[in-house]
Amino acid sequence: MKILIAISSKEFSGPTLDVGMNISRALNATTTIVDVGEKINELSTKDISIANELMDAWNINRPGMDVLEWAYYYLIQNNFIIKEDSQRSFQDFILDESVSNRTEIHLDGAKIKKINLILRNGDIINELREEVKIYNYDLTIIGSSSKRNLAHDFIQYIESSILIVNNFNLKKQYRILLAVNGSKGTLKTIKYGVRVAQAFNIEITLLTVSKNGHLGEKYKNAINRAKKMLRRCSINSSFILEKGDPVKKIIDVAKDDHIIIMGASNQSPLAKFFTGSKPLNVVEKSKCPILIVK
Amino acid sequence: MLGFSARTISNILFWVTRKKWLILSFLLSLSFFYVPTPEGLTSSGHRVLIIVLVALILIITESIPLPAVAILIIIMQVILGIVSADQVASSFMSDAVFFIMGSLMLAVAIVSQGLDKRLALIVINLTGNKTWRIALGFMLISAILSSFIGEHTVGAMMLPVALTLIRNAGLKLNKATNLSTLLLFSIAYGCAIGSIGTPSGGGRNIIMIGYLSEFGIAKISYLEWMKYAYPLLLIEIPIASVILWYTFTPTKRIMDSSVRKLKVKVAKNGSLSSDQILAIIIFLFIFLGWIFLSPYVGLGIIALCGVFLYLSFGLIEWQQINKNTNWAVVLLFGAAISLGIQMKETGTAFWLAGKTLDYLQLLFQDLEIVRWFTSVVITGLLTNLLSSTATVAVLGPIILDMGGNPVSIGIMTSIASAFSYLTVVASPTCMIIHSTGLITSSDYLKAGWKLFIISIILLFLITKLYWPLIS
Repeated sequence: MKILIAISSKEFSGPTLDVGMNISRALNATTTIVDVGEKINELSTKDISIANELMDAWNINRPGMDVLEWAYYYLIQNNFIIKEDSQRSFQDFILDESVSNRTEIHLDGAKIKKINLILRNGDIINELREEVKIYNYDLTIIGSSSKRNLAHDFIQYIESSILIVNNFNLKKQYRILLAVNGSKGTLKTIKYGVRVAQAFNIEITLLTVSKNGHLGEKYKNAINRAKKMLRRCSINSSFILEKGDPVKKIIDVAKDDHIIIMGASNQSPLAKFFTGSKPLNVVEKSKCPILIVK
Repeated sequence: MLGFSARTISNILFWVTRKKWLILSFLLSLSFFYVPTPEGLTSSGHRVLIIVLVALILIITESIPLPAVAILIIIMQVILGIVSADQVASSFMSDAVFFIMGSLMLAVAIVSQGLDKRLALIVINLTGNKTWRIALGFMLISAILSSFIGEHTVGAMMLPVALTLIRNAGLKLNKATNLSTLLLFSIAYGCAIGSIGTPSGGGRNIIMIGYLSEFGIAKISYLEWMKYAYPLLLIEIPIASVILWYTFTPTKRIMDSSVRKLKVKVAKNGSLSSDQILAIIIFLFIFLGWIFLSPYVGLGIIALCGVFLYLSFGLIEWQQINKNTNWAVVLLFGAAISLGIQMKETGTAFWLAGKTLDYLQLLFQDLEIVRWFTSVVITGLLTNLLSSTATVAVLGPIILDMGGNPVSIGIMTSIASAFSYLTVVASPTCMIIHSTGLITSSDYLKAGWKLFIISIILLFLITKLYWPLIS
């Protein structure tokens, strides 16, 4: 399992890192924490890299490194990094720049297999898409953004499953809202739901929405399967069957105290591009974190 | 759908959304190709105009890598039947491009000598510990150094000095304060002001000199350029410094302990090494060569002599030069200059100049003012959108075809292209200070607009009062 956590600043990325690292720990995943800095004008890239090299020589953090430094101390505080390593100061780690536009700091993790901190610069969608494509992440975790296009692009173009940490409050008691339907991917969605529920030791609300109140064979099978799996893993759960518009019902049930887990849309990419998709609509309107399983 | 998998369609969609400007410029160029040639323009001029349009769209939007834009400019000249492959090749390389290439390599060689610590000491010894003197000192040193060795190099070298002072003052390096804004802008604006001083201050000066000689207008020597431009540089520094001070007045007026800590840190480095002394001597030779020999052998060749010396004395490794030289810049400006030459030869520049004059004359009536407005105000504004060198490369041929005294209009254009105060993309130095995260885009406007206007006024005064005396 490989997880990518995208952070942007100390002020806004706290919850993202919290949720991400806890999921990582629970799933025993290899984790990469990435900060995507602003795009650098191409005429200036070399000048910036010369300036960066000089800053290293003066022991000054490069731009963007302060965010990674903050993440590093967060990892120490929360015991994600073993002791010998955590005694070293952040500046002592060697930067690996062998891949262009990707600066990497290797850290050895204690409770999870491996943690990487990396810095990239450029358009956030481009950079995350490339990172996911080359290094094959299973799950990308990001904070929410107010820009509609950005959410759309994340969901449309990032090829891993996506967790958008929207409006997350550490102190709040959450349940999982697991949206089950008759689609092919629903089994994977259920599995994700189970793993996250186990990770955080929380209960699951199974939700199935039927447009006309009638449930087809595939839906019934999926629901039974889900119930069986939850029982086997001894996770407390309840089941809700709703009739109406799936997006609206999911948002109504989730309120602000659920983590929504749902499958990605099965529509063709072109249809999604022009008309949007259910997950996108849920992301836009809901007030809770949402995991879209691809 | 159509036998493509969902992933393939998604990939295509991604490409289309990211490259929409490339697609648009392709469609535009295709439709312009079939539009009848405008009156007064030759058919090859029409095709050159298409290339200019495509190049501008692609440079501004950065939707494909800049070297790709450069290559496209070269390819289109041949494919559209404007010139033969050999002709493009010979217009692509010139002494101006030698100079841009040589000075970028020289910059890498100089930066890697570790002279930045030495430089810090000089600045501090010169300024003492009062904040206003430090800010002024940063601006002065940045301006004078960048007038000789190029603005971006100096920007990169001064940045860590400023950041160390800010950190030593007990301020965090991830939170902007007036002090950090003041010092960083002193560097960036100092470098911009300095870059007008000599031909080697910025690639765009060389492009202009290249055009002037290529079009058979005049041969400007290193010293002559300095006579025109250096006085403006010296007048502008104190004024810019005062503007910055009153726009970003810091609370900390004395940086006593901060300066002391910096001195201690720098003192650890000991005295100049023999390599460093040699590096400085070589640069002095290059400088003297630019002044005394460039009329005979060209500025570019002298810059390349410098690179040759640095390499053969083992002061820098080729790998280092190869890694840190921005070859995209060399390619792009080579291509832009070759396009500029085609603009001149096919009459596109003349046609565009005529159109500009016609339209602007409706606004101002006086031809003299129109010329001045185009070469100064339009250049200044475009610089802040496009980057300064690209602006001069594209606007240069048009401006030189507008009549009047082409030498003074040309130098004016080059100087105005240094008014890169308003945006992040205007110059590499602006980008360098922005990359620290301490300067936001709106900060550029706060002091920038005042400097922009004052620079234009100063340039106007100097062209009216001082230039007639020397030309």
